[in-house]
Amino acid sequence: MIRFEHLTYTYPNASRPALADVTLHTAAGAFVLVVGPSGVGKSTLLRCLNGLVPHFTGGTLSGRVDVAGHDPVAEGPQVLSHVVGFVFQDPEAQFVMDRVADEIAFGLENAAMPPTEMRARVDEVLDLMDLTALRDRPVETLSGGQKQRVAIAAALAFRPRVLVLDEPTSQLDPQSAEDVLQALVRLNRDIGLTVVLAEHRLERVLPHVDHMVYLAPPSATEDGDGRVLSGPPRHVLNQMDLTPPLITLGKALGWEPLPLTVGEGRGFAQEVVSGSRFQVSGSELKPETLKPDPILCVKNLSFAYDGVPALTDASLTVNVGELVALMGRNGSGKTTLLKCIVGLLRPQRGEIALAGESLIGQETASICRRIGYLPQDPDVLLFADTVAEELAVTLRNHDLLASPPIAPVDLLAHLGLDGVATSYPRDLSVGQRQRVALGAVTVTRPRLLLLDEPTRGLDYPAKRELVRLLREWQAEGAGVLLVPHDVELVAQAADRVVLLSQGEVIAGDAPEVLTASPLFAPQVARLFPGTGWLTAKDALAGLDVQSDYADQNPMEVSGEDS
Amino acid sequence: MRRAVSGFIYVLSGAIGVLAFVYPFFAQTTDTALGQAPGQNAPLWTAALVGLSVVALLVEVQGQAISAKTVAMLGVLVAITSVLRFIEVAIPMPGGFSPIFAPIILSGYVFGGRFGFLMGTFTILTSALITGGVGPWLPYQMFTAGWSGMTAGWLSHITQPVTHSTPHDLRTRQPTARLTWDILILCAFGFAWGLLYGAIVNVWFWPVAMGPAEQSWTPGAGLGETLTRYLAFYVATSLGWDMARAIGNVALILLLGAPTVRALTRFRHRFHFEVQPYA
Amino acid sequence: MLDARAWLLWALTTLVTASSTRNPMYTVILLLVTTVVGVSCVPDQGGRAPLSPLRFATLAIPLSAVFNGLTAHVGDTVLLRLPDWLPLLGGPMTLEALVFGAMNGLTLTAIFGGFAVFNQATPVRDLIQLTPRAFHAAGVVLSIALTFVPQTTRSLKQIREAQAVRGHRVRGLRDWLPIVVPLLVSGLERSMGLAEAMVARGYGATSDRTQPLRAQVGLAMGLLALLVGWLGFLLRPSWREVAVGAILGGAGIIVGVVWLAGRDVPHTVYRRRRWNARDALTVLGCAFTLAVFLLPLPLMDRHTLSYSPYPGLTLPAFDPLIGVGLLGLLGPAIASGGGQANHARSPRSIGSERDA
Repeated sequence: MIRFEHLTYTYPNASRPALADVTLHTAAGAFVLVVGPSGVGKSTLLRCLNGLVPHFTGGTLSGRVDVAGHDPVAEGPQVLSHVVGFVFQDPEAQFVMDRVADEIAFGLENAAMPPTEMRARVDEVLDLMDLTALRDRPVETLSGGQKQRVAIAAALAFRPRVLVLDEPTSQLDPQSAEDVLQALVRLNRDIGLTVVLAEHRLERVLPHVDHMVYLAPPSATEDGDGRVLSGPPRHVLNQMDLTPPLITLGKALGWEPLPLTVGEGRGFAQEVVSGSRFQVSGSELKPETLKPDPILCVKNLSFAYDGVPALTDASLTVNVGELVALMGRNGSGKTTLLKCIVGLLRPQRGEIALAGESLIGQETASICRRIGYLPQDPDVLLFADTVAEELAVTLRNHDLLASPPIAPVDLLAHLGLDGVATSYPRDLSVGQRQRVALGAVTVTRPRLLLLDEPTRGLDYPAKRELVRLLREWQAEGAGVLLVPHDVELVAQAADRVVLLSQGEVIAGDAPEVLTASPLFAPQVARLFPGTGWLTAKDALAGLDVQSDYADQNPMEVSGEDS
Repeated sequence: MRRAVSGFIYVLSGAIGVLAFVYPFFAQTTDTALGQAPGQNAPLWTAALVGLSVVALLVEVQGQAISAKTVAMLGVLVAITSVLRFIEVAIPMPGGFSPIFAPIILSGYVFGGRFGFLMGTFTILTSALITGGVGPWLPYQMFTAGWSGMTAGWLSHITQPVTHSTPHDLRTRQPTARLTWDILILCAFGFAWGLLYGAIVNVWFWPVAMGPAEQSWTPGAGLGETLTRYLAFYVATSLGWDMARAIGNVALILLLGAPTVRALTRFRHRFHFEVQPYA
Repeated sequence: MLDARAWLLWALTTLVTASSTRNPMYTVILLLVTTVVGVSCVPDQGGRAPLSPLRFATLAIPLSAVFNGLTAHVGDTVLLRLPDWLPLLGGPMTLEALVFGAMNGLTLTAIFGGFAVFNQATPVRDLIQLTPRAFHAAGVVLSIALTFVPQTTRSLKQIREAQAVRGHRVRGLRDWLPIVVPLLVSGLERSMGLAEAMVARGYGATSDRTQPLRAQVGLAMGLLALLVGWLGFLLRPSWREVAVGAILGGAGIIVGVVWLAGRDVPHTVYRRRRWNARDALTVLGCAFTLAVFLLPLPLMDRHTLSYSPYPGLTLPAFDPLIGVGLLGLLGPAIASGGGQANHARSPRSIGSERDA
């Protein structure tokens, strides 16, 4: 069905090829999963399937591509649009029309399909994706998950043979991601559609994957062949370095056949635990050695948008050197709480105090001298010509340019950005851009850091970097309040967890929230209930297993944040 | 050959626009066809002719197909410009100031004349649609806004500024001097087009105001007197408005122009957005 | 709801009618007719007019009257006399001149009012569909722009908040830079993603293509004919007919080129509005009005159309038959049966209604 033969592609003005000598073959009707770190070429590979590479991007391509008998390079994306449907990462940037049905019909209109047939197709596809109720809704009123499903529907309107998706859930919250992935599995199962998916959230789809393709970073291998691992999932996972915690554990403990889901792993886990050789030790979480010294004190905060309550009597504290994770379902008020703290929203009732001083009524700009707030999309901060300039802008805003609390050069070194101090920020990778934004908000040496879903779109190495940075700041005495995007991050980094539900705090302390609640528990916790282990490292240490895998923290896996 | 024909089309279209502006000064007798009273239908004909000129130019600039990149960029830029009109509310500025002209001129400057023309016409059209301002004045508005974008694009070809340097150049040397000169010239553009816009749009009802022959001019009355009357008309009705617009343009381009041009240029390099060589 | 094309025809008819006459009686009737149509056809919350016709009238009529009174010095009834040495303003200020100016303002108001009704009665989506096939790309650009406006507004808010969070305060024009530049650049980056999505769904071109040479030549010829014809019309009255012919010929060529270009664009329409009886009624009414005003039909005293207050102020003549002709513009009001005004529409609704 899909065949790559010695495909080599170089972007225009690039020094190295993005894809080097890739050879792959997949069968029809397969569910193909493409994995690999950011920037390794997954998107490029996917775009070769429908001719976007090289027709849209330029550059030079050699080798052969064959998709269901068509040659994308020769025929171009317009012809291939009938064979290959493509869904992109950003749900905000795919829609031309503002109503759902019109959007689906857009492609059909351009293909000059007769109106009656168009109507039939639109109805069919809406039904397939369960969107009939949303038919006339304006697209802007839909949630991220619904938007992606509309994008899938629009791609399916041509009745393609292959559906290709480039990280469709990376911008979505866990619940929406779940919906989209389930829809894909259904499409593959029910109508036998070949699906090619590039993803980081593996857990949901691993059981359904027929074929896995792993693109390794170029430094890890010497020759061209080693860069692409392809085959049945277990085979590839065995050879990969970065895998979900379950898989990591499985490889370390030698479980055969490698379990792909927690369900499959339970049997093995019980065996391990009941084996008397291993001692189950208690929680590995940091004991409370620090005397609670609150930096941030929020008491009885209430906020309502136009009469609709978003926060009701919410209270929490963050102590010096502590990382508190603020968790909750979508819409439970997490972002609202953060915004109230920095003064972007004025709460109707309640108290917010930073190191004893009340913040209510103060202007955001002055509050943010002492609090660093990283918004969900760090790109909205960046507008200067160089990285160093970004830091200078913040200092200038606060009138601290003459005497900065921390020398910008030092901060850049701390963030690992000294090599790119004169680069244009938007030219950098996602992880680097986030760190520039972090630099911009922390250059005033704030005592409290607020981070809103900082791991969106980050791959594993960037996440690890972020955790390291946070830990360093905590050691210097800052407090961190984090709204997480995935549970594994919380498991690694959080000292305490505060749970928000419908604007009210149902507080707790890790590990009970993480381990006891089936909604939020990471894989390892679900595998070994009652042990308090949250990461693969915990488990391996608890079982006293020396393993190469012990140091590898797991890749992102979505928790059941539903 | 093709370039000659394209150039010819631009010249003719521009000439029609100029004529639309200037003709009342030349008309010695007025339209008496079909038994109508003098001076009645002139504005209609003029609007229709200018409209046709805009249509022809659009067909020429658009070519047989515009790439998806251009379409998408235009769409988004037009949306942004429409949203930026709210800056008007935030900064109290008199009457005619509209922040849509500076982006048109700057976009034309960075992305080329064709893009500038399309940007100008579509921004006006979208604004008119969203705010309910469709009317017989629309062809004049589109014509002028389009030409402002187009001429800004020509400027960039003439002066060969930073927009045509490579990414390497942008990194290694700060493009200061060149850009400053160009920004000043663009300010002048902004000023001139701010005034011209008002002057040209006034044309759509100037003949109506002129009235019958016995009032306005006697046959052979002379260019001078008619011009004076028009000048008076212009001063009375829209000079204040247009001055605000012109000065507003200058302010926007002066203060925000250079960084915006740099950001747009970098974007252009990053996405390998090729500008068509003609226009 | 009427088809957008019918509304456009209606608006153009009011334009032609208003421009065809200087008789204030007809203009007033025209104003009344447009008001009636506006009240009966425009939904209550149609808020898309920048200025209501009434306010326009209060501005335009006095302004026009005063301007004309001050600059035109013809007429019998002198109200006051300005010193002669004043350039342009010097001389008698006559009642006739004032009246003439007021009539101009009235005409402008009528035109404005007609288009105001048009703007409010047609949803924006329908207007976009009016674009001819040759300008399909323009239609797509407009659709994208409309789709992106809400998203851009949200983006603007996010950016303002983010910049506030790093200490930014908006005090002067220069402070808008950290807000405008990220807005532009993020928007443009999004647009590249959008372009990819469009191409992946089969939207035509991945690169710009130029028109075939013959189309370009056709355009050039057409424009040349227009220009020459117009110049001839203005400068050489004896060649009047030839000039008009050249203008019409040029227009025809251009329209022809546009039509041919349209045929090259493969495109069908998903939401097709069916032409129904109400639209036909409107069109007939407009045709009737146009006939009365433009064609030299018997039984009508066409001289009443041209009224001049000079040299002395007289009561304008009025031909009831022509007045009846104006009633043809009531088509939309009759067609809608007066029930449309009760349609509750959300102020933000700019989509087209489903076929009845």
